[in-house]
Amino acid sequence: MVLFHCPDKISQKIRERGEGSKEPGSMRDKILNFLVFLLPLLLVLIILYGMLFWTFYISVSNWRGTSPNYEFVGLKWYRMMFRLDRFWVDVKNNLKWLVVGVGPTLFIALLIAYLLEISSLRGFETYIRTLILYPAAMSFIVTGTVWSWMYQPDRGVLNTIWRFLHLDFLQSGYITDPKTATYWLVLIFVWQYLGISVIILQSSFRTTELKEMIESALIDGASRMRILFQVILPNIRGGLLILGGLLIISALKVFDIVYIVTFGGPGYSTDVLAFFMFIATFQQHLVSLGAGLSVVIFLMAFIVVVPYTVYAFRRWFS
Amino acid sequence: MKRGLTILVIMALLVGTIFAARQLIIFHWWTAGGEREAADAMFDVFKCKHPDVEIVENPVAGGGGVSLRVVLQSRLAAGIPPDTWQTLGGAELKSYVDGGYLVPLDDLWNELDYASVIPKPLANAVTIEGHHYTIPLNMHIQNILYYNKKLFKELGLKPPKTYSELIEVAKKIKNAKPGMSPLALGTKEKWEAAFVFDSILLEVGGPEYYVKLYKGEIDVRKDPNFKKALQMFKELIPYIYPYHSTLTWDESCGLVVSGDAAMVLMGTWAIGYFKTRGWEPGKDFDAVTFPQKPERILLFHPDTYGLAKGAPHPDVAMDWLRTVASKAFQVRTDVTQGGLFARIDIDPCFFPDPIRKELQNYVRNHPDKLILDQHGSIAPFSFTQSYWDVIAGFLSDPNVDRTISSVADMFELYSVKEEAAWYKWP
Repeated sequence: MVLFHCPDKISQKIRERGEGSKEPGSMRDKILNFLVFLLPLLLVLIILYGMLFWTFYISVSNWRGTSPNYEFVGLKWYRMMFRLDRFWVDVKNNLKWLVVGVGPTLFIALLIAYLLEISSLRGFETYIRTLILYPAAMSFIVTGTVWSWMYQPDRGVLNTIWRFLHLDFLQSGYITDPKTATYWLVLIFVWQYLGISVIILQSSFRTTELKEMIESALIDGASRMRILFQVILPNIRGGLLILGGLLIISALKVFDIVYIVTFGGPGYSTDVLAFFMFIATFQQHLVSLGAGLSVVIFLMAFIVVVPYTVYAFRRWFS
Repeated sequence: MKRGLTILVIMALLVGTIFAARQLIIFHWWTAGGEREAADAMFDVFKCKHPDVEIVENPVAGGGGVSLRVVLQSRLAAGIPPDTWQTLGGAELKSYVDGGYLVPLDDLWNELDYASVIPKPLANAVTIEGHHYTIPLNMHIQNILYYNKKLFKELGLKPPKTYSELIEVAKKIKNAKPGMSPLALGTKEKWEAAFVFDSILLEVGGPEYYVKLYKGEIDVRKDPNFKKALQMFKELIPYIYPYHSTLTWDESCGLVVSGDAAMVLMGTWAIGYFKTRGWEPGKDFDAVTFPQKPERILLFHPDTYGLAKGAPHPDVAMDWLRTVASKAFQVRTDVTQGGLFARIDIDPCFFPDPIRKELQNYVRNHPDKLILDQHGSIAPFSFTQSYWDVIAGFLSDPNVDRTISSVADMFELYSVKEEAAWYKWP
């Protein structure tokens, strides 16, 4: 409803126009309004929810191989999925992405945004902001390729730098070590999303009320850390909530970084659900299994995002 | 009035050209450097015989057909097939046959008498339940060990033909050049690891065992051969390039060129790669098939073309298939692309490099020594994909018992025994 609310001036104009014409035309306006909104509504209903339902239906049918087979087989493919070791590795990895990807990005972005707003770096703010924003302007394909060069254990940038500085103990196999590989991938994600996160947080710093509060806190002699945690944090909830939602969704649907940098390897140790979905559907030709995996991704998103959104809206409008 | 007439004439002309044009809508994945030239060569031969045909390619970039399959599968499912498309023999072909997307070509095979000019295992690879479905145009051999010839000369080494010789050579290389990995490997796309493992399996169990294993007729849990092969694979790990999971197959061959590794086990397509890096076959590098004990078996897969059910231009597609089967076509295309000739009645001397000359000669004299490899596999696609993952993962975490149990699980889970029952060998 909020979305359809017209600002007063515009609605006044519409009213004036309605009065100016011979007929009141309220009925006609209503129909017109309805028609205008019908198209996007249908698009959302058919394309989004229709496909969602379709995917769910495929996941309980028996489509394997190249030709569709819509025979109903119940939970057969889900049962198979739960038997696969790869599936559980994927679920674990998706959770790692969620925990290690979202929290640190939020925290580091908050610190950087605060430094840019408050500290003596203010003069350089525009330069630094451009610098931080650059990663966000690149596609994952590009960042992925660049970072694989960085991580390459033999000749990669990072290990070469460590060797040059005689800090050999810092050398590591990065994405070739199955135990830590996922975390190195998450680091790319953090790097990529940091810029946009800083911008969103900065914009929420810039309300007049908040500025006044910070000024008075400074005059009162509060320390900078105290200002950050006790004055700023409680007052930028809106920005934090939007940013958190954005990051959670991006971390859940991650595919491109894995595809470009490790292709799920070594073995399938960096695999995630979205990547397995791609492999199952188009490489293994187990379309029903792929659809089942999509449903699992959807449910995970649902479980994480819905409570978050409900909470967010409550806080926002309270 | 006048304008209306002009428009009419133009439209008539347009409609005329659309209906008059003989088109060939073709999907293939030879789009990368080296392979693009092979695709051009193949269309060149076809154009020469059928100059009136307009070729409509829908090439999607990406080697091995990963991206192409995504597009093709959606087109097929939507009922708008191309006239013909590139497919490997074996399990991939079978998935299209099972889907009902291909027309049997038995008449064409009889007309060309194709079965008598190609090796029997190759014919079997494109024959499902007694019907021939595609025309193979080449054979790629999987189990070839390439080595740096100058280095081998310098260290006085002989190219290894068995597993124990391989270990011995690897040890000597490691002693002489500590900074060098004896065996290069890139497992980013996973199948590369299965190539090496296949060679070990072939030596441990022999050809009958190899076929039985991938037909799902062996209980892996109790099988001594599989366990032994895994243990041998584990022993090999210290001699393999340690960061293999970051490299694709061509990058792993690059390690041999740059001197970071001494050998690499790769298919015939690596010859083309070495050449683009300026390496002369027979001079800078050479190759042996590996292993040659207990028998010299060549693991292979063909590239093939078939006729789509509901093809928009079936006549043109048939002309295309006749061309694909011709000597002129195979000589031009295969010499450029990197495989062997599907027809064994073509003179091996057409190959410029000694490696393929020798291989083609061997195939000519021993056409029964061919078995389907990992790409045009015996086992179904659903199985091989996850099998590769496990075998590649074994290299970073070599746990023999766990690997055996997960491979055994996969044989059941993907019902390999039923799905691979179509394959006949010898």
